[in-house]
Amino acid sequence: MKPRHPSHPYLFVAPTVAVLFLFFVYPLLIALKNSFYSWDLLTPPRYVGLANYTTIAESGDLAAVAWRTLSFGAVVVVASTGLGLALAVALNRRGRVYAFVRGAVFSAYVVSWVAVALLWMWILDGEAGLVTRILRAADLPTLNWLGDPRSALWAIALVTVWKITGYAMVVYLAGLQAIPNAWLEAAALDGAGPWARFKEVIWPSLKPTTAFVATTGLIMSFQAFDVIRVMTQGGPARSTTLFVYAIYEDVFQNLRVGRASAWVIVFFLILMATSAFTLRSFGARRRGEGRA
Amino acid sequence: MISRRAALSAAGAGALSLAGCGGERGVPLWFSYGGKNREVLLSLVAAFNREDPAHAIHAVYQGDYFELLAKLRTALSAGKAPAVTHVVAEVLPYFVAADVLAPLDEMPGLDGDLGFVPELSQAGAFQGGDAQRMVGVPFNRSTPIAYCNGDLLNELGLAPPKTWDELATFAKKATGDGRFGFSCPIDWWFWVALVTQAGGELTDGDGHFTLGGEAGVEALAFWQRLVRDEKTMRTPTGRDYNAWGITNREFLAGRAAMIWNSTAFVRYLEENAKFPVVAAPLPQKARAGVPTGGTLFVMPKGSPPAWREAGARFLAFMCRPEVSNEFATKTGYIPVTRAGIRSLEDNGYYQKFPNDRVAVDQLANARPWPWHTELFRVQREAVQGRLEAAVLSGDDPRAVLAATRKAIEAAR
Repeated sequence: MKPRHPSHPYLFVAPTVAVLFLFFVYPLLIALKNSFYSWDLLTPPRYVGLANYTTIAESGDLAAVAWRTLSFGAVVVVASTGLGLALAVALNRRGRVYAFVRGAVFSAYVVSWVAVALLWMWILDGEAGLVTRILRAADLPTLNWLGDPRSALWAIALVTVWKITGYAMVVYLAGLQAIPNAWLEAAALDGAGPWARFKEVIWPSLKPTTAFVATTGLIMSFQAFDVIRVMTQGGPARSTTLFVYAIYEDVFQNLRVGRASAWVIVFFLILMATSAFTLRSFGARRRGEGRA
Repeated sequence: MISRRAALSAAGAGALSLAGCGGERGVPLWFSYGGKNREVLLSLVAAFNREDPAHAIHAVYQGDYFELLAKLRTALSAGKAPAVTHVVAEVLPYFVAADVLAPLDEMPGLDGDLGFVPELSQAGAFQGGDAQRMVGVPFNRSTPIAYCNGDLLNELGLAPPKTWDELATFAKKATGDGRFGFSCPIDWWFWVALVTQAGGELTDGDGHFTLGGEAGVEALAFWQRLVRDEKTMRTPTGRDYNAWGITNREFLAGRAAMIWNSTAFVRYLEENAKFPVVAAPLPQKARAGVPTGGTLFVMPKGSPPAWREAGARFLAFMCRPEVSNEFATKTGYIPVTRAGIRSLEDNGYYQKFPNDRVAVDQLANARPWPWHTELFRVQREAVQGRLEAAVLSGDDPRAVLAATRKAIEAAR
């Protein structure tokens, strides 16, 4: 459809651009400015140049938090994407039982993070939790899952995967249902078995979906806060302090607005880089290459 | 049918009335007591409002101490602070340096001698605290104490430990059957207690943070020994007050024979335990010693005069011995007035509730905090996280504390 006036398309996107600028770009610019200051909100800000960046880098915190966040993100994305795809393929069938299972899997996604965190705190309790009791009954060794620095981050990754896999599954189901049956029938007529049909028809068709699921999963994993706040408060020994929690700690608990802003800027750059990497890795289609 | 415009207007008016606290709902008091302590505070606020309806207080819960602090700081920055709130003692010097708290000693009802227990008042809770203007009024004040499972004491023939060695022996004997002998949050407050008992001080005479020197090392090494070597001490999951709550739950569930926690939980633990709760003073090493804890009421600067007046009247009400006693006896906190403690002694309260007496007696060994602007940051940023990491990793305590001192100096 041709616009009646050349300015019309710009007018249509203007509200979105304004909201984006007001709530995303402008705060980011403020964070960038604050990152060059030492400020506790109560006393006047003091210009410190790059000191906030060098402090988090030289203390080793930046590398530790970045590595922890990236590892956590990688585990969550790979596991939730893989499980979501497997569930979608397995449950992409008609029938009440399948519909019920699809609903049950997705239900975790709509439950609040706080409720999920409290539920899993009970399941993972090192002494009286369900997992510990089962392992003890089987004479297997147990851990204080949330109280041991070796296991706490992975316990939270497990909870995150459990919660967001339903979302990945639903997006994959939509992707699967958009694949024309004729393609699968043609492949079957050519002698392709289930694995060959998946490998040659389904998986290539789902690549844009995978790019979307992986990117949103990555962003969700990077945004992990509520679950950490409720389950471990960043501990034990900072083993579950990811980027967002480090920002929260510095700005709200340590009275360091400038340092928290430095975290924000570094986090933004890492998030941009990893999102671009994820989109490229899964070959998101460029304009004109077809339906995304 | 209500039009959309009318509905929006009504919603907007509602939001404005909520945001503008201090109107018909009363002058805002931000508080952070949870559970039973919250119920008791709200009952006292209601009593004040009945007595003085023209200066009614509207109490608003704002999360735990540190969540409240975060909100308070943001509100101070935005010029939207409440009339009255309460803050942990360690942050008082910082707020005073930032000049955001109103002096209380000139306010009607708060001038003159309020008869506070010296160790709990601002003047006595800090080294050199009496040289400062009074900006904090004590209310829920505490010390750490030990809580023992009375049934287990009888069953195992044990008594509450009086020394560190006895504590280690107690923990060893009481560990087993899915139970730890001892549990304590790996937290600054309890570590400061250990440092004090080992004969150390947080700062030297020049105001530099020594973190107790050798006593600090001994304190950390003692925890490492119980947690890592002897495996008789459980470290609760979570941090800050989450860990404190979990410590209580472990005790109530019979999974810890003895815990250290605040005297604030005396009533809560007594009412919820299926066994007799026996409170005891913390053990000593080179000497007996505990820090004081809890919070002091403060009034942020910049409030309207009507808020200041209502706030001062409310604080004067809360400082009355009978009001302070009501809060103390219903929770476990220490009564903050000398007259209040005397009246409880005279009416035989402590004979009937000996657990309440433990923290009061421990005040004789209470060590004041250094009046240091960086005290709060040293606690939150430098020490707290390193303690937890050192206990769990087993890193050399001397090296850990040396690194902590270095970090403190670098941050100044």
